[in-house]
Amino acid sequence: MIQKLLDVENLTMKFGGLVAIDNLSFSADKDKITSIIGPNGAGKTTVFNCLTGFYKATAGSMFLNKENERLNLRKFSDFKVAQKAGVARTFQNIRLFPQMSVLENLMVAQHNKLMDASGFTILGLFNSPSFVKKEKEAVEISKYWLDIIGLTHRADDDAGDLPYGDQRKLEIVRAMCINPYLLCLDEPAAGLNAKESAELNKLLLFIKNEKKTGILLIEHDMSVVMEISDHVVVLNYGKKIFQGSAKETKSSPEVIEAYLGTEE
Amino acid sequence: MGKKFFQTSIKDSLFTGLIALALFGPIVGLRTVAKNEVLEVHPKWFIVLIIVIVCTVGRFLTNLYVYNRDQKTGIQSSIGKSISNFLDTKGYQIALTAIIFSVIFPFLPFTDRYLMDIAIMMLTYIMLGWGLNIVIGLAGLLDLGYVAFYAVGAYSYALFAIHFGWSFWICLPIAGIFAAMFGVLLGFPVLRLRGDYLAIVTLAFGEMIRILLLNWYQLTKGPDGLTGIPRPSFFGLPFKSFPDEGEQTFHTFFGVEYDPMQRIIFLYYLILVLALITNLFTIKIRRLPIGRAWEALREDEIACKSLGVNPRNTKLTAFAIGAMFGGFAGSFFATRQAFISPESFTFIESAIIVAIVVLGGMGSQTGVVLATVFLIGLIEVFRDFESYRMIAFGGAMVLIMIFRPRGILATRKPTITLEKSSSK
Repeated sequence: MIQKLLDVENLTMKFGGLVAIDNLSFSADKDKITSIIGPNGAGKTTVFNCLTGFYKATAGSMFLNKENERLNLRKFSDFKVAQKAGVARTFQNIRLFPQMSVLENLMVAQHNKLMDASGFTILGLFNSPSFVKKEKEAVEISKYWLDIIGLTHRADDDAGDLPYGDQRKLEIVRAMCINPYLLCLDEPAAGLNAKESAELNKLLLFIKNEKKTGILLIEHDMSVVMEISDHVVVLNYGKKIFQGSAKETKSSPEVIEAYLGTEE
Repeated sequence: MGKKFFQTSIKDSLFTGLIALALFGPIVGLRTVAKNEVLEVHPKWFIVLIIVIVCTVGRFLTNLYVYNRDQKTGIQSSIGKSISNFLDTKGYQIALTAIIFSVIFPFLPFTDRYLMDIAIMMLTYIMLGWGLNIVIGLAGLLDLGYVAFYAVGAYSYALFAIHFGWSFWICLPIAGIFAAMFGVLLGFPVLRLRGDYLAIVTLAFGEMIRILLLNWYQLTKGPDGLTGIPRPSFFGLPFKSFPDEGEQTFHTFFGVEYDPMQRIIFLYYLILVLALITNLFTIKIRRLPIGRAWEALREDEIACKSLGVNPRNTKLTAFAIGAMFGGFAGSFFATRQAFISPESFTFIESAIIVAIVVLGGMGSQTGVVLATVFLIGLIEVFRDFESYRMIAFGGAMVLIMIFRPRGILATRKPTITLEKSSSK
């Protein structure tokens, strides 16, 4: 049996009496794009927050299958999910470091690697050659990603000064700079115009095909979802009501009902 | 500029005059004097009149020339703009000039004992400002109890030097380590706090340390303070006018006349070197991963977590390193004064240091220097007018905030640039 990259089993998240996610199970493939859609308040972002350690799930398990190990993401607390397990995410409202330069944003993403190389700062203070080399490599990686999103010429400008669409793309490549196995994108197309959405699709397909990174996508923009998703999971009130390919989703009566209501 | 504008300006300035009268009338005008055990009121209406006239006319003039938008291109704003421009672009040159000036300062013809004392005090504040800049400017943690680390450094230096007789160069790092430990001690409980809440807790921490020093009589001698802290020596050569039998002192060793200024000049260079070390260290560490993580943490903690940056370690190192430099400055303070008591470590000291960092422009090293020279210099200039000192201090802050709302030097340079690293 080919293992899935991510196996979510019976995930439940309760806030007091409110059940935000109810016994949710789904899986995501390596080098596939899995979309999570659903009406507002369906619990999509909560799923992300559980996966990336911002919330501690009430019950259930989330397994990340790497080449030779199987990690339960529930065992990692906040920053360790990114550091140890290699799960990166972006946010619904962009969270860049607005007063730091574009390049610095990408360098912060490579913090743990560079921190080790700097010998917990002591080697770095004396410019040890191994640290200088690592830092150069990190700059090269940043440059590689900037070339891909076409922002190399603005590398030294403040991230907060970029146009909105570029900030979205920058946040995605910043997440890619931690070299993740799974990339969780929370509404990356929100607020983008048609041209920017098309560019975003291209970027996501590139990450999927070239980097072989699994992508988990929350999105309201159906043009994005339908065009690039390999697999769609539909949530409503914290429950999975449908899963299948993009085409099947479009014609599913349950999904239409959840979005538009039933005819009386 | 129409007639109507003129009328409103006059109305506005008359109103200002009324407010000035209401404020200054009772405060300045009615002075009570104790005479034969009876309080007598000595009215001083003339001074009140002058103040009211100054306020009215001043308001009228500012209305005409500053707040009049048609004239915004006038001389005043162009001067302001060119100063701003100068500060924004010439930060590096200002820094270089300042360093050269401070190196030759003790040997300038007009330099006397009084100026040297002020310079040493300013450098102490600059060093504290640079230390606190790591915590506030880089890591964005508003620490209102910074003086606690200054106190810990001073007391640990004093206690080690008095009881064990260790020299300055041994006690200095020990004091730094002690202060850093207290930094971590403060850091742990406040890891989850931000902004106002953090400010309150750090404020309380600063007071706790002061009260501890005040009440732990066996160790700190409480309000009496510690006396007889050894003076620093020039690499083992003490500064003494009458050396003991067979003892080498600074002036006998170098074969010069004894002059009390020698010790002052030595202290001056000592604090200059300590401050510059603080500065170099901060400039360097800002470009290392930990420095970038501090700034990232200031910008967005949640994003940091999502990128796998450990916020706990990052914050604790900021607290520890900032505190360490506070401790160094504290040991210098102890050895310079030869006497320390809890009174030197009150909240107002913390407030001044925070003001220096904020007014200088958060995170700007040169800004700290400019703000210190401006604020401390102003306090000194007004030393003779005792009761107006704090007014001048407050006024200076208000002025800086009006003309440079983000601090004197607010421009931030990226810690790494693509052009530079790819051209190498």
